[in-house]
Amino acid sequence: MLESDFQKKNRFFLNMGPQHPSTHGVLLIVLEMSGEYVLDPQPVLGFVHRMHEKMAESRPCVGFMPNTARMDYVCALPYNHGYVSLIERKAGIEVPERAEYIRVITSELNRVASHLLWLGAYLLDLGAFTPILYGFDDREHILDILEDITGSRLTYCYYRFGGVSRDIDDKFVASTRAFIKRLRERFVIYEKLVTKNIIFIKRTENIGVVSPDMALRYGMTGPNLRGSGIAYDVRKNEPYSVYPEFDFEIPVGSQGDCLDRYMVRIREMEQSLRIIEQALDRLPEGPVRAKVPKNIKLSPGDCNFAVEAARGELSYYLVGDGTSTPYRLKVRVPSYSNLSCLPELGRGILLPDLVSILGSFDLVIPEMDR
Amino acid sequence: MAPETKNFKEDILFHEFNTTETDYDQRGYHLEVALEVNQVRKFAQKAYDEGFYLVFVTGFHVLSEETAEGTTSGLNGVYQFARYDRLYRIKGHVSVPEDMSLPSICDIYQGANWHERETRDLYGINFEGHPNLKPLLLSDEDRDFHPLLKEEKKLKSLEAVSWAPEALESVDADAKAPSADSIDS
Amino acid sequence: METISILPPELIRMLIAAIIIISFLFLNAIMMGYLERKIAGHVQRRPGPMEVGFHGILQMVVDGVKLLGKELLIPFNVDRTLFRVAPLLSFTPVILPLLVIPFSEKLQARDLSLGLIFIVSMGSVNVMALLVAGWGSNNKYSMFGAMRAVAQSIAFEIPILLSMLAVVLMCNTFSLKEIVGAQQKIWFVFLQPVAFLIYLIAGVAETNRAPFDLPEAESELTAGFHTEYSGMGFSLFFIGEYTNMFIVASVATVLFLGGWHGPNLPYGEYLGIVWFFLKVYFLLFLLIMIRWTYPRVRFDQLLNFAWKYLVPFSLVNILITAVLVKL
Repeated sequence: MLESDFQKKNRFFLNMGPQHPSTHGVLLIVLEMSGEYVLDPQPVLGFVHRMHEKMAESRPCVGFMPNTARMDYVCALPYNHGYVSLIERKAGIEVPERAEYIRVITSELNRVASHLLWLGAYLLDLGAFTPILYGFDDREHILDILEDITGSRLTYCYYRFGGVSRDIDDKFVASTRAFIKRLRERFVIYEKLVTKNIIFIKRTENIGVVSPDMALRYGMTGPNLRGSGIAYDVRKNEPYSVYPEFDFEIPVGSQGDCLDRYMVRIREMEQSLRIIEQALDRLPEGPVRAKVPKNIKLSPGDCNFAVEAARGELSYYLVGDGTSTPYRLKVRVPSYSNLSCLPELGRGILLPDLVSILGSFDLVIPEMDR
Repeated sequence: MAPETKNFKEDILFHEFNTTETDYDQRGYHLEVALEVNQVRKFAQKAYDEGFYLVFVTGFHVLSEETAEGTTSGLNGVYQFARYDRLYRIKGHVSVPEDMSLPSICDIYQGANWHERETRDLYGINFEGHPNLKPLLLSDEDRDFHPLLKEEKKLKSLEAVSWAPEALESVDADAKAPSADSIDS
Repeated sequence: METISILPPELIRMLIAAIIIISFLFLNAIMMGYLERKIAGHVQRRPGPMEVGFHGILQMVVDGVKLLGKELLIPFNVDRTLFRVAPLLSFTPVILPLLVIPFSEKLQARDLSLGLIFIVSMGSVNVMALLVAGWGSNNKYSMFGAMRAVAQSIAFEIPILLSMLAVVLMCNTFSLKEIVGAQQKIWFVFLQPVAFLIYLIAGVAETNRAPFDLPEAESELTAGFHTEYSGMGFSLFFIGEYTNMFIVASVATVLFLGGWHGPNLPYGEYLGIVWFFLKVYFLLFLLIMIRWTYPRVRFDQLLNFAWKYLVPFSLVNILITAVLVKL
């Protein structure tokens, strides 16, 4: 493929980004190319770097709550969840059961919304202009449901230490159930329009194959890893909140190509709907917020908490020093590790395939740059 | 169906290092390994051979102190690994010596490539053997500006930010006793 | 006294026809633009333009005014001549094929005996316009788009020619008027379904429409060969593209769908144009729907498809046709 001398001599650099329709966010990938083949893709990060970790060190731990949503704005509630659970683990706060159920329901709704956005954006990259509008149509319903109780459409700051800030009402339960029913019918449309489309299959099959060993060396997690056949999901592997009480499966792919990652996310949406249904059925009564001291003092020592965000394993690592301000907060974001395999994965591929791979990784750049 | 975590007595795979078992519910990881600078690569190699994946590589900044080997720089590196097949997280920390350099584990875990670049950007720790220590998150002009280094008056000693055995009981007491000023809902 | 006219009547007739056709071009571009946006909207479950005029009918007029008013940016360091010439090159050659298309029995600007070949040769000039635009923009993305356009156009011209050849074998003539005339009993689409399908697919590829719109692949190449164009230059490209689509659909109608044949109308020789337009716009409707439904094929898959599938199929088709005609 790259054997001709002409091709070896005629290399040029192409900047994909930072403003580009299909790098999802402000990402620059410097491509060394020969004709249509990419020889060496090097991502350049840092365009959206806002230094959240330093912000965490300069305000009390309760003041960092809004920042968690700004890191990954597409799927912000698991970020909230990880942070409040981290502080609860450090300070030994118990959360009432109703609050845990509400957290699970809203996190899973947010996960579905994130995957719907990913679906639309991925197909837009591949050239199909229509599914993004269908996906956004469904996503609007979720955003409306969540707006009623949280007050925001995108950057949620709904969880508090010891619970959630507001209780859900019957309207929420009814509209969520109606939405689940509607989305199940819409999945049939997606199946027919997208999954069985021969052009789509040819654009995604056997492209961007990630082997399990490569995934381990780069620390990939989430649907990218599950597409390669490893059934690692923090909700099952390292259960937190009330996830042990629900019955759901972890979809895995077999080959690790783009089509497998696509199928894993589609199936994950269906499993999330299952979790929401079970949680709504079993929702207990009770308070939604425990009484916690105003100034939570973080005892000296470090603590770690991992949750399953939409893109993979999200870990918060905190070093406390006895005051209410964290001494060090490290946020380990999934997209960071997922993208770092691009220089190895993208060697010698075609440019349209690179676009397909980037789309299938489901990257959100602000969460990478923090 | 939570996966079983094995009994650690049989499962400690890191005998050759200075390990401490930790309480998972309190700390979120199972094993804490205190590393020397020359043990970092062996630790990473062992973790890779046993099938751990790299969670992150980062650092934090404390007061530098005088030890038997000389003055430390006050920086500490933190390595965290975990497993795909069962719940087992391990954390290794190493104190960076005064020359501010640690060996790089890029050739074992390629994912560490970016983590080490970021740590160099934020703290100034130089990773020897790293193929490409260009700034990752910061711009090229800010190469030598390390934002996460703390100012003198905010630095605390390593002891002040580590778990102490007595701290455990006081944490439990604080949490369970309702205090007078609670937050309004 | 004999009026000595300086211009022969034939030339006057052609001039009038040319003027009507050029104005029809712009009207067609407006109509097709509106049609495209409305169909795109409804395929995507939204209404499309609704504000300007009744159900957005005046949207394209307003857009045209906006585009006219835009500043014609010429980027730094481009080849100024080539940059300016490219939209004109794209727009001009598409007028000529319209002069030979028989809109109805008496309405045809000029009936060349080699009408079909004339149309195909004009279609090839369009490629040069894309190449000039891509090169003249001094932009790697545009160059990419231009290269892809050249390879794609060359690859798909052959299936077009071969499928047309199948029809020509049946009629023994290249003149479009006579081809339509030969379809009085039965339309050729029933006799040559394979050729019809191949012609339509290859025609979509020639005009750079999705799913074959790689030269302007928005998500990969940030608008490809027309990245650097703004205002009227950009709109000339698009009028050229819509007219190209119209020509492809008209030629398909003429060759396969019986041209202006249809149930009898009074003044049938002139009003045959109604049936013609109905058929053409039906095909255009199909083409627009396809654009908004399918994702894009990858470039090497596209060329594979052309060379390994379309060309052999059309060759076999010709062989069978030749054998059957001989019998």
